[in-house]
Amino acid sequence: MKLLKIAAGAVSGLAMLAGTAMADDKPVVGLIMKSLANEFFQNMMVGAEAHQEKRGDYELLAVGMQNETDFESQINAVENFITQGVDAIVVAPADSRAMVRPLKKAMDAGIVVVNFDVALDEEAKKQRGVELAFVGPDNRGGAKLAGDALGKKLGEGGKVVIIEGNPGADNATQRRLGFEDSVAEYKLDLLDSRTAHWETEEANSVFSNMLTAHPDIQGVMAANDSMAIGVVKALESAGRDDILVVGFDNIPAVGPMIEDGRMLATVDQFGTDMAANAIDLALEVVNGGPELEGWVKTPIELVTAD
Amino acid sequence: MTTQTLAETGQVKRAISLRSVLNNAGIGLALLALILFFSVFTEHFLTANNITNILTQITINLILAVGMTFVILIGGIDLSVGSVMAFAAVVAGKAITLPGFGPAEAIALAVVAATMTGVLCGVFNGVISAYWALPSFIITLGMLNIARGAALQVSDAQTIYAFPIAFEEFGSAMIYGVPVVFIVALLLVLVAWFVLNYTVFGRLLYGIGNNEEAVRLAGHPVFWYKVAAFTICGFTAGIAAIVYMARLNISSPIAGIGFELNAIAAVIIGGTSLSGGRGSVIGTLLGAIIIGVLANGLILIGLSDFMRQMITGIVIVFAVILDHYRAKYTAK
Repeated sequence: MKLLKIAAGAVSGLAMLAGTAMADDKPVVGLIMKSLANEFFQNMMVGAEAHQEKRGDYELLAVGMQNETDFESQINAVENFITQGVDAIVVAPADSRAMVRPLKKAMDAGIVVVNFDVALDEEAKKQRGVELAFVGPDNRGGAKLAGDALGKKLGEGGKVVIIEGNPGADNATQRRLGFEDSVAEYKLDLLDSRTAHWETEEANSVFSNMLTAHPDIQGVMAANDSMAIGVVKALESAGRDDILVVGFDNIPAVGPMIEDGRMLATVDQFGTDMAANAIDLALEVVNGGPELEGWVKTPIELVTAD
Repeated sequence: MTTQTLAETGQVKRAISLRSVLNNAGIGLALLALILFFSVFTEHFLTANNITNILTQITINLILAVGMTFVILIGGIDLSVGSVMAFAAVVAGKAITLPGFGPAEAIALAVVAATMTGVLCGVFNGVISAYWALPSFIITLGMLNIARGAALQVSDAQTIYAFPIAFEEFGSAMIYGVPVVFIVALLLVLVAWFVLNYTVFGRLLYGIGNNEEAVRLAGHPVFWYKVAAFTICGFTAGIAAIVYMARLNISSPIAGIGFELNAIAAVIIGGTSLSGGRGSVIGTLLGAIIIGVLANGLILIGLSDFMRQMITGIVIVFAVILDHYRAKYTAK
C-alpha cells in the first residue's frame, strides 16, 4: 500500500515536471540514454545538457538507466514521454529489438523519433512497419580503422587476439566484426577471441592467460579502452614491449599510453557531441524540416601518437 | 560460567581442527587433481610465469574471500564487497590524485581512505543487520547499491588515473617470482587463521554460527561480535581496492561487479558452511586457488568463454553437494 502511494506520488511529481515543461512554448525533447555508469554515456549526457543551455530554444528531459541490460526502464521512459506529450524522442536503444514496439507507439502518437548510437534491428523494424533513420557512428567501420592500423604495422600473417565486449551487445558484436574484417583484409592470424565484459581487471586476467597460451601474440584488438588498459598492464607485468595494442572510445586515461607508445591507436567517435547532434537533427524535423532517412553517419576518427 | 564455556570451546576446537584437516585434505586433493590435469593437457600450465600469473589473478578474490569467511562463519553473507571495493577504490583514487602531496603521503592517504571507506561500509552492514536482527542478505544487497551509486557519484562515472609511479611498482613487484600483492593476501590469511583458531573472539564467531543463543546466554556481546565480522569484511574490501589500484593503475567506478559471488564461491568451495559455524580460512585459500586455476587452465586448454562459465558453475554446485555430505558426517 505504502509502495503504491510512493509510486503514485512519483508519477504525479513527474506529471507536474512535465506540466512546467509544457507551459513554455519551446519544443520538448525527451532524451533516453543508456547506462550513466558508463563514462561514455555520462559524458554524452553532459554534452547534451551543455548543448541545451547553449541553444536555449528547447526543453530537455533526459533519463538514463541503471545498467547496460536494463531495457525495461527504457521502455517505461518512452511510455512516460508519450504520456507527457513531448515533441521529439531521441533514443540510444539498450536493445535493438525490444525498443521497436514502444518507439512505434510514439511515432503513431505524432512524436518525432530519432534513433542514435545503436541502430534498431532491421528485421524488427520491417515486422512492425517502422521506417526510422539511424544517426550514429559506424562501430564496425571504427573497429576496422583500429584493426587496419594494427594490420598495417604487423603485415600479413601477424598473430593477433581480440578482447570482446559483452556477448550479445550490439556494439560489441559490431566491433568484433570490424576487427575480423581487418583480420581478413590484412590476412592476419587470429589466435583467440574472448570477452572481458568491457572491464579492466577482467581484461588484465583474461589477456595474461591468453598470452601464456600464445606467447607469440603480436597484436591485441580490444573492443574498448578500459579493456585495453588491462591489456597494457598485463604486458607491463609480463615484461613484453613487443606487442601492439589498439582500443576504442578514446577515454582520457589512454591519452598518456598512446603518447608513449604503450598503445598504438584508439578510435574516437566523439561521444560528447553525439546526443547533441541527434537532438539538432530531431529539432530540424520538429520545426518542419524533411524526415531523416537511412543512416546518418556521425564522424569517427583514428587516434594515434602522430 | 565463562571459564566453563571456554573449556568447552577448547574441546570443540580440537575436534573442529581435526575435522578441518580432513576437509581441507579433500579440497587439497581436488586442487592437486586439477593441477595434474592441466599440467598434462596444456603446454604452459606448470611454468613459472603462469604460476606467477595465477597468483596475481587470485589475489583480489582471495582478499575479499578472507573477509567473507568471517561473515559466513557467523551465518551471514555480504553481497556488497564488489561494490564496496569499487567505492573504496574511487575514494582512494580521488585522495591519491589530490594536488600538493608527495608520492609517499599520497599513497598513505589512499591506503587510509580505502580501508576507512571499507570499514565504514562494513560497520553499516553489521550494525543494521545485527541490531534489528535483519537478514544480512537484504542489508548487504542494499549496501551493494548504495556503494555502487556512491562510487559513480564520487567519480562522476569517470575512470581516475595517473597515480604515483611507486604505487604502480608495488602493484607489479615480485619476490622470487611471487607477486608482493599475493604475499599481502597470504599475510591476511595467516592473521585470519590465527584469529579464528587461537583467540576467544575467533572461537566465539564459530559459536555464534553454531548456536547464537547459547553464546548470548553465556554473557558475550553477540551484537559487537557480529558487527566486528562485517567490519573485517569491509576492511578486506578496502585492502582489495588498494591492490586493484596498484595492479591496474586506475580506479574504475564499475570495477568489481560480481566479485561478491566469486568471493562467496571461494569460501564455499573451501568447505565453509553457508549456514555458519563450520569452515576455515585455509579452506578459503584453497577455494580461491581452485577458482583461479580453473579460470586460467580452461583458457590455456582453449575452452570457449561460455563453456568456461558453465564449468565454474558446475564446480560450485558440486562443492555445495559435497558440503551437504560433510554436514551429515559431522552430525553423526
